[in-house]
Parts: sequence; C-alpha cells; structure tokens
Amino acid sequence: MREMTRHWPGRIYLFLLLLSIIGFIAFLVVGGTGVGPDGLPTIVFGWMTMPLVIGVAFVIFWLITYVVYFFFFWPYR
Amino acid sequence: MAVTIIALAAFGAVVIAMAAYGYKISAKTAEDYMLGGRTIGVVVMFFFVLFAISSAWTFYGFPGLLYTEGPGYVMFIWGSVAGFAGLYMFLGPRLWALAKINRFLSPVEVLAERYESKGLRLILSISILAFIVPYIGIQPLGVGAGFQALTGLPAIWGAIYTTVILIVLVILGGMRIVAWVNIFLGVVYVSALLGSLFWVAAVLFPDGGLVQAVSQLQQTAPAMLSDPGPVGRYTSIALAGTFVVGLLAFAWPHVAIGCMTARDKSLFKWFPLLIFIFGGLFFYIIPFVWGSIVAPAAIPVSQLAAEAEAAGIPLQEAADRVVQTVIQRTLPQWFGVFVLLGVIAAAVSTAAVQLMTSSVIVSRDVVQGIFKPDASDQQITAWARWSVVVIVILSLVASMLNTGAMALYLTDVSVPGFAQWAPALVGGLLWKRGTRQGAIAATVAGVVYLVLSLLIVVDGNRPLIIGHPVIPSLLVNTIVYIVVSKLTPRPSEAIETQFFDEVDDYLRAESGS
Repeated sequence: MREMTRHWPGRIYLFLLLLSIIGFIAFLVVGGTGVGPDGLPTIVFGWMTMPLVIGVAFVIFWLITYVVYFFFFWPYR
Repeated sequence: MAVTIIALAAFGAVVIAMAAYGYKISAKTAEDYMLGGRTIGVVVMFFFVLFAISSAWTFYGFPGLLYTEGPGYVMFIWGSVAGFAGLYMFLGPRLWALAKINRFLSPVEVLAERYESKGLRLILSISILAFIVPYIGIQPLGVGAGFQALTGLPAIWGAIYTTVILIVLVILGGMRIVAWVNIFLGVVYVSALLGSLFWVAAVLFPDGGLVQAVSQLQQTAPAMLSDPGPVGRYTSIALAGTFVVGLLAFAWPHVAIGCMTARDKSLFKWFPLLIFIFGGLFFYIIPFVWGSIVAPAAIPVSQLAAEAEAAGIPLQEAADRVVQTVIQRTLPQWFGVFVLLGVIAAAVSTAAVQLMTSSVIVSRDVVQGIFKPDASDQQITAWARWSVVVIVILSLVASMLNTGAMALYLTDVSVPGFAQWAPALVGGLLWKRGTRQGAIAATVAGVVYLVLSLLIVVDGNRPLIIGHPVIPSLLVNTIVYIVVSKLTPRPSEAIETQFFDEVDDYLRAESGS
C-alpha cells in the first residue's frame, strides 16, 4: 500500500475505493435497501433483492478499478 | 444408513490418504510443515483461502440468520469480500516479502520482531488464540447437527467423525496438504450447495424457479425481501455496522497467514481477481439465495417455528439447519448424504486452516518465542503437531458451552476479537512511526474493552457496546496505538531499514522495476 501512495494512479485508486465504501454506507443509511415509495420491496430481474443488487454493484466496481490499477499501473506488477 | 456409512468412510479415506501422502513428500522442516515451504501458487491459494473462510457457517449459520431476520446480514459478505481482497492488495505483498527475507514463520513473529517485543508476542498470541480456538469447535459441532438431521443418530457421532479427520489431516499433512485438500473439499462443497439449490428450485418452483419463489414471498412474507427484515433488526445503522465488520476480514489471522505461504509476488496481482469474480459474484450468492429466497419460500418461518416449538428447540437452532431440512424433505435421500459430505468438507476446510494457524502460534510464538528460544526445527514441528490435539479439545469444550446462534458467534465475538491485532498489524507494516509501546498499549486496551463490553450486562443491555462490539473496541485500540506511538521514541533506524527499506527494495527487484 505504501507504493500506491507514492504515485497519482495509486492515490486515485485508493480514493475511488474509499469513495465506494462511503457511498455504499451512505446508500444503506438513506434506506436504499428498504421498501420502495410504494411500500413494496424493489426486485430486479424478478428475483434479485436490493441487498443483493447493491452488493453485486459494489463488487463489480471494486473489480473494475482493481483490474485497471493492478494490471496497468501497480509499480510491482 | 448403509449408503451413508459407506459414503462417510470413502470421504474420510480420501482425506486421510491425501494427508498421509503429504506427510510422505514433506521436507520435515518447520517451514515446510507450517507454511507449505512457501510454495503455494495462485490457484491453490484461492481454494485454500476461499474455503478457509467458508465454513459450516456458510451452509448453516449464514442462511439460517437470513431465514429468520431477512437479507440484511448479507452486508457482512460484501464487506468481507472487500476485506479479503484488501488484505492481498494492500498488506499481503509486504507481509510476504518480510516473511520470506527474514524466514519468519508466523504473522505474530513478524510483529514481535517489528516492535522488538516478547511481551507483545505473548499478548498477541494469547488474544488471537482466545478468539480463534472457540470458533474451531463450532465446525465439528455444526456437522454434528447436520449428521443428526440426516441420520437421526446423536450429533456427537458426526462431531467425533469430523474431529478425527481434522486431527489426522493437520498432524500429518501440515499447511501444504491442508491447502491442497481444500481444493477437493471445495469442489465437494460447491457441488453440494449449488447442486442442491438448482435441484430444489426445479422441484419446488417449476414455473419460474427463483422468480416464482420471490413472487410467492411477495405475497406471503414481503418483509423477507427488504431491510430491515421481518423482525426489524437491520436498521440503517445495523446494516452499516455489519458491513464495516465484514471489512475487517483482512485481520483474520488464519487468512493473513496465507499471505506468508505464497510462492511469489505475482500471486498478489492475480488473487483479488478470483476473490471478486468467483467469491463475490458467484460463491457467496449461493447461500444468500438459499437463506433469503428458497428456504423461506419452501418452509415458511411460522411453520418452522411451530415445528421447533413442538420439538422443544429454539427457532434459531432449527433455522441454522433449514437448508438441510429443505433438501431432506425435497430430494432423494442419497443426495442428502452428498450434502452432508459438503457440510463436512466446509467444516474441515476451515477448521484445518484455523487449527494450523493456532498450532503455529502455540509452537513458534509461545513455546519457542517465549520459553525455549533455542528449540530445534524438529522440536517446534513436533510441538506444533501435538498442540493440535490440545487445541481441538479446548475448542470443543468452549463451543459446547456456547449456545448462541452460529452466525452471530462469528460476527459478534470472533471477528471483534480478530480485529484487535489489526492496528498493530497495519501500523507495523505501513507506518514507520508505530512503536512497541503503542502496539502493546493498544492491543491490551482493545481486548480489555471488548471483553468488558461483552461481559457487562445492565438490565439486559450491554452499555459499553455502541452499535456493534467491534466498533468501540477497535476505535479505542486505534486511538491508543496512534497517541502512544506519537508520544514514545520512534523505532530504531535498523528496524526502519529492515521492515521498510529492504522490503521496498526486494519488491522492486522482484518486479524488475
């Protein structure tokens, strides 16, 4: 991690991950996984509940940023 | 019954044969026994770590809690995926390089040398063992519950069977074979969990599968499909707290030690890819779907509650084995046996790694590190092997005394306990200014706060817990670490050179940059 803080791509990578964690928590705090305005649970593709959807989105975000940084910018790659 | 016994005998024979083979090919050195000779590649490492962290808890406790309290508990999984990947991205390369350059055999040894303190070595060893040992015993007991549900025989036979396999595997095989066996166990485990899900969904929900199951829940129990869940437990704060607890997965000692077994640095580049894709986007979704969709649609919670009451057991105990109950009531009996093998695989794969980690700490850090520094390589290997038996007995006793929900024991006791070495670990690897006094004061303060917060109960409440047991204790731990480190003299130049400059140079040289 020390090597990441020594160059701009690394700092941007760490910042994006931090932002995603804050965003994830903020989404939970504002009730994003609760019922919708109609009082019913939000279901995606007929079976995915919001706690699953938000988690999958979070993992995909981490996956994309990791691939970009570790395969193109990581000093020890 | 005969099919069950034959299947269990064949399964046990395969695992024991692999352990015996591992003993035959091992180099009989401490490094080989404790860290697999530092030769674990990325694929084996992936199975090793994924199934080290996916225990009977993933089969029983996790879906069991989703079943009774709704989908909010899955936030622990999303945090854990980030935590495990973070360990390998941020701390792993340095921990691996340090251990390889200096021939360190345990993560506690790394920190004891970094902070130049035998006292810290003892404190960290005791605190890690205190929180990891009870969790080991949960695994065989979890299998016992499944064994009883399938065969009707007393749970103790399932627990004894699993314990014997576990002891033989760890004593003979060592870390390398524990890692290799995890591939076999992982395949059995995933086949059982995923195969049963597809089959049950096809039988019970033929007109749309999961879509039909969700549609049914929307009619009968819509609270199961969103937060805060049917009992209102997962409020916004509880969800955020559960997610943060998951993030602390980077500090699980039996996962951290995996970094030290890596063959080379490239592992740390590839490993997170497997964790994100196979772990986060595939594997952990299976028990989630089981516990939050299929099981409640197949057996309504009210029905299971009535059955539990009639049987004189708490609802959560019945819920912890709801996946197996659904399988038994829906699929042929022979498949139930296969599922039981999957549960045993899940339990053994986790407990074996935890047992290895515990025995390394007992032998290398407590016995050799504190009491007998001149012990030979052979002696510490022998102590590590025989400490396994003592640890297993202690863990079974501790687990039998614990009667809480399996899932909550992990997140409310073990994880907060594991987290108490996190500030010393992160600071020791990344912050030059972290000092011995800071690490000792912080670890003691965090552990004492955590234990008090769990023990002190006033009017049914625990007043020292704010949000979740890990949050205040880790906060106290971190603040004490930073403040005391800043107030005490910085570590020597020799330590800075050994633990920072040399590591940077080594990693740069390894990558040719």
